[in-house]
Amino acid sequence: MYILLSLVVLAAVGIFAQLVKVNVFEGEELRELIDQSYIVEKKIRGERGTIFADDGAILAASTPLYNLRFDPHAAGLTEEIFREKLDSLSYYLAYYFDDKYTVGAWHDRLEEAYDRGDKYFFLKNNVSYPEVELLRKFPIFRRGRNGGGFIADRNEKRAHPFRILARRTLGYVKEDVKVGLEGSFDDYLKGEEGTGYMLKTPQGDIPQKNLENITPKNGSDIYTTIDVNLQDVVQNALLRGLQYHDADQGTAILMDVKTGAIKAISNIGKVSNGWAEVYNYAVGTATEPGSTFKLASMIAMLEDGYVNLQDSVVLNQGKTQFYDKEMVDASPHGLDETTVRHAFEISSNVGIASLVDKHYNHSNKGRERFVNRLKDLYLHLPTGIELRGEALPYIKEPNSAVDQWSGTTIPWMAIGYEEKLTPLQMLSLYNTVANNGKMMKPYLVRDIMNYGDVVKHFKPTIISSRVISPKTVVKVQSLLEGVVERGTAKKLKSDYYRFAGKTGTAQMDYKQKKAKHRYQASFAGYFPAKNPRYSCIVVIYNPREHGYYGSAVAGPVFREIADKCYILDPDLKYPLNAHVAKLDSKKLPSWQVGYKDDLVKVAQEFDVPVKDLANEWAVFKTYNDVDSLFLLNRKMSKKIIPNVQGMGLKDALYLLENRQVKVRFKGNGKVLKQSIRGGTPAKGQTIYLRLG
Amino acid sequence: MAGATNILRNLKGDRVIWAIMFILALMSILVVYSATDKLAYLHKGGNTEYYLLKHSAILLFGFIIAYVAYSLPYQVYMRMAPWLILISVPLLIFTMAMGVDVNSAKRWLSVPGIGLTFQTSDFAKIALVVYVAKVITANQETIKDLQKGFAPVIIPVLVICGLIAPSDLSTAMILFVTAMAMMFVGRVRLSFLVTLMTGGIILFSFLVTIGNFFPQYVRVGTWIQRVRNFMTGGGDNFQVMQGKMAIANGQYFGVGPGNSIQRNFLPSSYADFIYAIIGEEYGLVGASFILLIYVVLMFRIARLVTKSPKAFGSILAVGLGFMIVLQAMANMAVSVNLLPVTGLPLPLVSMGGSSVLVTATAFGMILSVSRYIEGLSSNEA
Repeated sequence: MYILLSLVVLAAVGIFAQLVKVNVFEGEELRELIDQSYIVEKKIRGERGTIFADDGAILAASTPLYNLRFDPHAAGLTEEIFREKLDSLSYYLAYYFDDKYTVGAWHDRLEEAYDRGDKYFFLKNNVSYPEVELLRKFPIFRRGRNGGGFIADRNEKRAHPFRILARRTLGYVKEDVKVGLEGSFDDYLKGEEGTGYMLKTPQGDIPQKNLENITPKNGSDIYTTIDVNLQDVVQNALLRGLQYHDADQGTAILMDVKTGAIKAISNIGKVSNGWAEVYNYAVGTATEPGSTFKLASMIAMLEDGYVNLQDSVVLNQGKTQFYDKEMVDASPHGLDETTVRHAFEISSNVGIASLVDKHYNHSNKGRERFVNRLKDLYLHLPTGIELRGEALPYIKEPNSAVDQWSGTTIPWMAIGYEEKLTPLQMLSLYNTVANNGKMMKPYLVRDIMNYGDVVKHFKPTIISSRVISPKTVVKVQSLLEGVVERGTAKKLKSDYYRFAGKTGTAQMDYKQKKAKHRYQASFAGYFPAKNPRYSCIVVIYNPREHGYYGSAVAGPVFREIADKCYILDPDLKYPLNAHVAKLDSKKLPSWQVGYKDDLVKVAQEFDVPVKDLANEWAVFKTYNDVDSLFLLNRKMSKKIIPNVQGMGLKDALYLLENRQVKVRFKGNGKVLKQSIRGGTPAKGQTIYLRLG
Repeated sequence: MAGATNILRNLKGDRVIWAIMFILALMSILVVYSATDKLAYLHKGGNTEYYLLKHSAILLFGFIIAYVAYSLPYQVYMRMAPWLILISVPLLIFTMAMGVDVNSAKRWLSVPGIGLTFQTSDFAKIALVVYVAKVITANQETIKDLQKGFAPVIIPVLVICGLIAPSDLSTAMILFVTAMAMMFVGRVRLSFLVTLMTGGIILFSFLVTIGNFFPQYVRVGTWIQRVRNFMTGGGDNFQVMQGKMAIANGQYFGVGPGNSIQRNFLPSSYADFIYAIIGEEYGLVGASFILLIYVVLMFRIARLVTKSPKAFGSILAVGLGFMIVLQAMANMAVSVNLLPVTGLPLPLVSMGGSSVLVTATAFGMILSVSRYIEGLSSNEA
C-alpha cells in the first residue's frame, strides 16, 4: 500500500515540478507567444452619421455590406472535408445563393478553384448582412473563416433611399475628395476612430474586453432643411423641363423666404445613359446671369432716386448703339418710348441699359457708385452656404486694371453680362426682395445631433436686415408682380394665386459669331406675391428644343414647382373664391334659417352687409333692389314644435330636443322636410327629419 | 431542502472523501462553463448555458448515483461482480463493431432515445475492478497458487484490457496497472506480477502488429504519432503547446474564472486538457490545489485500507481509488507535457457523461466501504 502511495506522491511531485517549470521558467516565452500570435490591434471605425431631411426622412445613411470570398485552402479546412461537403455546398449555393450556376456548375467552379490553389475565390460583392448570415449556415462555410474558408469582408456603403434626390448636394467622401454636405460636415459625420484589441480565433475575431480599448465614437447625424416632398417636386419639374427642351443641364433651388433655409435643391445634367446629379451647378457655377440681373440695376437706380417707375424711357424700337456695340431687345415690341415700369416688365435691354448708362456711365465716380450699389446687395460676395466649392461671384471693380473696363461695360452689366453669379447668389437677391429687404444667409443644415442630443443648432442668419430700403422694396415687388401680370411671364400667370418673378435669357457665347447660339434660360421669383413663402430660381443651360427664352424654358418649371407647393403646403391654400367675393344675390343663401349669432358671423366672414332685425332666431332674406341682407326675426315658442325646415341639423336638434321631442333623421345638409308640422304642441313625440 | 439537510446530517463515510467529490464537481462546473464557450458558439448559437446546464445535470445525476452506491452495503457489489463482467464483454465487442466514431476513436455507444453517447470502457472499468477485488479476497488462501489463485484473476483482466486497448490504449493501461496494484495489495506473488508485466508488453506488441494490418480497428498510427511527437520535444504538437501556453498564461494566481484565452485554441479544452484551463484561470495555486486533492484522496483510501487490509471492501476501495487517482495523474501529466497525449479525462472534472457517472459511482462505492469500515472501528472502540 505504501508503495502505491509513494508512487502517487512521486507522480504528483513530478507534475508539480512540471507545472512550475512551464509556469515560471518557460512562462515568459510562452506568454509572449500568446500575445504575438493571437492578439492583434485593430482600428475600428465609428459608424458614419446619417443625413436626414427636415421631416426626419433618411437622405443618406451607412449600411454595412460585405464582399464575400471563399478560401478552399483555409488552414482548418482539410481536403477530406472539402471533398466530402462539396456536393452539398454546391447544392445550397445553387438554390439559395446564386442560381446563375447550376449545382454542377458550382461544384466544378469550386473544385477548379481548389485545384488552382485559389485562396480568394470570388463569391459576390456588396452583400447584405442577412444574406451573409444565411451563407454562414451553409456546409463548409459554417465552419467559419479558418475552418471553412468563408471570408466576409465588411465595408460600409452609403445608401440613399431617395436615390438621386439631392444627390450632389448630399455629396460624398472618397479618400481626400470631399463633396457636398458629406464633405462639409465630414468632421461631424465620421465620428472618431477607436482601437480595439482583437483575439484571432478560428471562429473569427473576438474583441478583448480586458485589454485597454479606445471605443470608437459614432458620427453625429445631420438634419438638413431639405423637404423630401418639395425636393421631389423640384427635381421632377426640372427633369421634365430638361427633357422637353433637350438641355445640357439645369438647376433649381427652392428657399424659405423668412429663414433662408433651402427646402429643395436639384442639379441635373445629361449623362451618357440618361440624367444624373453630377455637379452642383446651383452653387459651383457662376455664369453671366442675363436679364434676371436687371432687378439689381433697377434697385440701384431706385435707391439712388434716379428714376421713377412712371418716367418714360426711349426704346427706339428695341435697338440702340453704345459706342461700337449694338444692343437689341430680345423680342420685338415696336415701341419707341414707354415707362420705366413697362421697360422692366417686358425686359427691354435697351430701356434698362440706357437708363443705367445715362445715370452711371458718365464718370468714374458714377461707375463706382453703380458697383457700390451692387455691393450693397452683397452681389460681390459668396453666400457662404455650407457646401464646399461655392463659386465666387464676379463683379468688376472700377479703377481695376485687371477688370477690363470699356465704355460698354456699364450698359452690358446693367442687363446681366460682364459679371458672373451662381444661381444661388442670384436667388439670394430675389429672396431679399421677397423678404422686404432683409437678407438671409442660405443654409442647408439646421441641426447636428448625436444620439438624439443636439450638438449644434443652426439658426437662420440675417446677413443684413435692411439691404434694400422699404420704399424701393415695394416698388421692385410691384415690378416683379408686373412681369407676371403683364410682362414677359404673363403666359405663366395662374388664376389661383399670384407670384412674382423675372425671366432671364442669357446668350452664353455672344463673343463668338455663330449662326446658332447657346442660351441660358432662367426664371427667378417668389410666391405668393403677397407675404411670400418661398423664393425659387430655375436655370436651364443650353436648351435645344422648344424655344430658349427664360419665359418659355425655365418659367414653366418655376410655375410647376409653385403649383405643387400650393398643393403640398396647407399654409398656402387660398380660398378658391377669394378673388370673386362680390355680392351677388343669386348666390347668397336666400333661405337660411338658424341661430342669429351664427348667421351674423357667417355674413361678417364674407364681408356681406347685414341689416339685423332679429332677436335669438333668424332667417336670411334678400331683396332684389337692396344691396344688403336682412336678418328677420323668427319666434320660437317653448311649447310647440317649431318649423325647422331650412335649418342646419345642429340648430334643429337643439330646438327639438329642448322640447322633449325625439329626433330621427336621414341624409345630410339642411332640413328639407319634417314629419310633424310646425305649430303642433310638443309632447314627447318622435319626429323624422329629411336632410338634403 | 429539509430532505437534503437530513441526508447531509446523516451522511456517514469518510467526510473528507465526500468533500473531495464536492470540490471536484464544483471546479468542474466552473471550468466546463468557461471551456465550452467555444462549443456553445459553434453548435448552440452562442447559448453558453446549454453546456452548463447539461453538465450540471449530469453531475447532479452522478451525485444521486453516488448516494445510491454509498447507501448499498458494499457486499452487494461482490455478488454482482460476475454478472458485471459477463455484461461488459459483449458490450465491448459490440462497441468495437458498431460504436460511434468520435475523434476517430470508436469508444462510444449511442444510447437510443436520450441522445447521449456512452463510453462502454467506463462501465467495464468498474466491472473489472469489482470482479478483481472479489476474486482476490475470495481466493485469499490460494492466492499464491498459479492455477487456483492467480488464473481466475488474470484471465478476465487480460480479456477486458485486450478488448479496450485497440480503441483506447490509455484506459486499458490504467486498468491494467490498477489490476496489478490490487493484486499487489492483495498479496499476489511478485513473480506473477513481473510475468504479467511481460505479458502486458507482449500483448501490446501483438496489438501493434495487428494494427499495422487493420488500421481501422487499432489506432496504432495515432499512438506512434503521439509518442513520436512527445519524444521529439513535444513542442511540435499543437495541442501540447497550447496547453503549456494556457498554464503559462495563468501565472501564479490565474487570469480568473471565465477569462481563459487559450480555451479558444486548445482542442478538447473541456475534456482532456481541462487541467490546462484550470492552470490558466486559477494559476499555479489552483492547479496545485487540484493536484493535492487527488493525492489526499489516495491518502484517505490508504487510511481505510490499513484499517482492514484483506477485506473485499479494502481491495475494492484501493482498486477504485487508485484507478481514479492514476487516471487523474495521467491526465494532468499530459496537460503539463510529462506524458504523450492520451485522451483520458480528468475524473469528475472533465465534461463527459459516462466518465462523470462512472467516477461518481466509484466514489459512491468507496464511500460505502468507508461507511462500513468506520462503523467497524467505532464498534471496536
